[in-house]
Amino acid sequence: MERECTAAVELRGIDFAYEQEQAVLREINLHVDRGEWVAIVGESGCGKSTLVRLLNALLTPQAGQVLLFGEELTVHNAPLLRSRIGMVFQNPDNQFIGESVEEDIAFGLEGLCLERGEMERRIASYAQLLDITSLLHKHPGELSGGQKQRCAVAACLAMEPEIVVFDESTSMQDERSRRELLDMMDHMRRQGKYTIFSVTHDADEMLAADRILALKDGRVRGDRSPAAFFADEALLRDCGITLPFRLKLEQELNLLGIATEDVAGGAARKRKHPSNHATAERGQRT
Amino acid sequence: MNGMSLTDGQHEKGRAAGHERETIIELRNVDYTYQAGSPFAAAALHDVNLKIQRGTLIGIAGGTGCGKSTLLQLLNGLLLPTGGSVRVLDHTLLPGMKKLRLNALRRRVGLSFQFPEQHLFEDTVEKDLMFGPLNFGFTREEARTKAAEALRSMGLGDELLNRHPLSLSGGQMRKVAIATVLAAGPEVLMLDEPTATLDSAARRELIALLARLCREEGRTILMVTHRIEELLEAADEWVVMNEGRIVFQGDADELVDRTNELREWGLAVPEQLRCWEEWTARLPQLAALPLPRTPEAMARVIAEAVRGSAGAPDAVRVSAPESIHRSAPAPGSESPSEAVNEARSGEWEHDLCATN
Amino acid sequence: MRDKLIIGRMIPTGSRVHGLDPRAKITAMLLFTAALILSNGWPQLLVLAALSLIVLLATRVPLKTYLRTLRPMRWLILFVFLFQLLAGAGTEAAAGDGFLWTLGPITLSAAGLSAALLAVMRMVLLIVFTAMLTFTTTPSMLSRGIEGLIKPISRRGTGAERFSLMMRLALRFIPALLEEAQTILKAQAARGADYEEMNLKEKARLLMSLLVPVTVGAFRRAEELTTSLEARGYRIGAPRTSYRQLIWRRADTWFTVLFALLPVGALLVRLTV
Repeated sequence: MERECTAAVELRGIDFAYEQEQAVLREINLHVDRGEWVAIVGESGCGKSTLVRLLNALLTPQAGQVLLFGEELTVHNAPLLRSRIGMVFQNPDNQFIGESVEEDIAFGLEGLCLERGEMERRIASYAQLLDITSLLHKHPGELSGGQKQRCAVAACLAMEPEIVVFDESTSMQDERSRRELLDMMDHMRRQGKYTIFSVTHDADEMLAADRILALKDGRVRGDRSPAAFFADEALLRDCGITLPFRLKLEQELNLLGIATEDVAGGAARKRKHPSNHATAERGQRT
Repeated sequence: MNGMSLTDGQHEKGRAAGHERETIIELRNVDYTYQAGSPFAAAALHDVNLKIQRGTLIGIAGGTGCGKSTLLQLLNGLLLPTGGSVRVLDHTLLPGMKKLRLNALRRRVGLSFQFPEQHLFEDTVEKDLMFGPLNFGFTREEARTKAAEALRSMGLGDELLNRHPLSLSGGQMRKVAIATVLAAGPEVLMLDEPTATLDSAARRELIALLARLCREEGRTILMVTHRIEELLEAADEWVVMNEGRIVFQGDADELVDRTNELREWGLAVPEQLRCWEEWTARLPQLAALPLPRTPEAMARVIAEAVRGSAGAPDAVRVSAPESIHRSAPAPGSESPSEAVNEARSGEWEHDLCATN
Repeated sequence: MRDKLIIGRMIPTGSRVHGLDPRAKITAMLLFTAALILSNGWPQLLVLAALSLIVLLATRVPLKTYLRTLRPMRWLILFVFLFQLLAGAGTEAAAGDGFLWTLGPITLSAAGLSAALLAVMRMVLLIVFTAMLTFTTTPSMLSRGIEGLIKPISRRGTGAERFSLMMRLALRFIPALLEEAQTILKAQAARGADYEEMNLKEKARLLMSLLVPVTVGAFRRAEELTTSLEARGYRIGAPRTSYRQLIWRRADTWFTVLFALLPVGALLVRLTV
């Protein structure tokens, strides 16, 4: 039954408010296909993090429905559906539960009631994927922020979720770790088995996504491709985003009558997957 | 005291006399080891030598754990070096010295920590702002004035004074946290990753404020960041650290030559350098020019170079359709740049087809 | 700088003591404490001291490190010493033991001195032995050990599980909170309020001011942590498997038996002498 339905996530008329406070989200409708990567952007306090917390019933909306894989999320099926959604948060320190990397990855697997052999297999394979095999026996205190965040991603992926939510996961990372994480997200998208949501302020992350969902004061302000998003100055302003240097330069050059596609978007730096509109810009990261 | 009078003299000379600036910070062969002598000892700085001139805006860059934060804490005596010497203004800090009465130094060298919440512990913004001035011996009245001034120089209004600090938005909290340091009137302002967790518009705004504190008020600003890109336009000089050592000190133009090393040091090559590199590859005459810091300036320089070498390489061509777009924007609300944007989205589609 | 609290962190040396089952070590710790309490004479204490010295050496952690754990406790140790010295003198005086000297109301006796030294010895051994436990066992192994010991006692499973999770989280986050408090103290020092230069009253006021930001920080962390626990499918009482099984080996039995002999021996000595 689920197979027939391509929607990984569907939101219908969602309203949400924290107790006795002003509404945080209003009339949110959203349809996300399996395998899509949606970046959620907007100024701080616009409801981005709240939105993704509705997806795995960490929060419950006052009105509207959340459908995961075509099934409505309720109190009863939340624990089961939740195991199909993984989350990676901003501060890796506050999601590290175990005393060592190995135990932290195991923590989620214990909850899935896996056999010890299967846990070992998954820990080994996801540690290899995230390149943290040598860190497995380390205490979180011995790790850098980037290493901790990679462990958090490993712990999340080891549970083999179908939807992965990155809630500002790159914002506290230094450049190297930020790029590693972005590459990982890109790798995940290319595998095609994950539906990705990423709440972000990072232009590279937005450009790498398939879609950008812009929120303003709890409402959907725009839902575009990255190319269309970065071309809309009013929308950018409403989301607290400045045009990245490269795009700004191209814009200025165009104003001066110089075309840039041959130079700035050299063929060597282009991505393999042509599904994306922002190909030229996404090449920056390689 | 003579340090102070010197400042005023230097100010009037302004930025033109850059090379005559007074050196206010000097580190010689500085080592720092955390928990020295215990089984958990961890070296954070090795043989650091550094000189910083008054009134400059310095960017300090490096990956996690490179020693950036340790360096800042050495400059106001929160940490004492375990080797070498640190001279800041007219204070000299040496290993193992008795750390008494460093307030005279700390009033003049302010430090803003990474998380704004770490500066906010009173129940109103005003009390938080007055905390520093009161500790440094100002009267309540003076402290109150300084609090309001500091808030204003961070671009915030007096109406925040009576708010609870934790009720502010993320961006406001960050600015108030910096204002709490600014309130004591420091000559040197050090900031540890002040832009982390801000969105890009807020980041730009904050950096503009810091640049103003430096240019108009003559303060020396040391800002730690791991995004060189955001500060490249404003910074006079860069200090790059890697694994507890200073691996680079110089301005953006010198940084251009070290692009490859930046990656090794765990830093992203800023987009300015990346774009400049790409254009220089096509237009070699650009290599002789200083790096333009803003996209506008870079576009102008490139345009001049293109026109100068008209008819030459096929790499760059003047594109007629876009010129038409530019000269004839659609009447009504659409601005010229929006018209160009539309043209650009078309370009992306074109790009797509060209992929191979 | 301030004395760092080094007790409570595992020092990996890969010794045989590290490899023991945490349940064995915790049981040994309890038995050792019982023996300390029961021992009231020098011979017994010297036996305990000798045994703990052997264990300490076996951990391959330098003895100097153990001595450092005593530093934060030095005032308490001194206080216990003086208290025993003076109080002991009073009680022993009635028994007519030899006086060393008297100064006004203060009387010192040989017995008082002996009692005071015994008290100090007990304290030192207890501290050092606790340090041994934490130097050789990671906090998570400790909490698993405690969980393992409690489980048979508590009738329904969730008590032990709750306790274990609480322990694990506390052990994970208390150091983080202390670090946060330290950073705030630094931020205050940077703004002219240096804790180390203050008198007692100012210190107290400053520490009070830490309460708000540290609590706020703790709540923020706790909130993120519960979100993260929930997102990873954790529910109290939900069935779970366990990744790390504790394995009880023959060495663990010997270790426990050895330590079980101590309080028994001390009790026998006490009853017969």
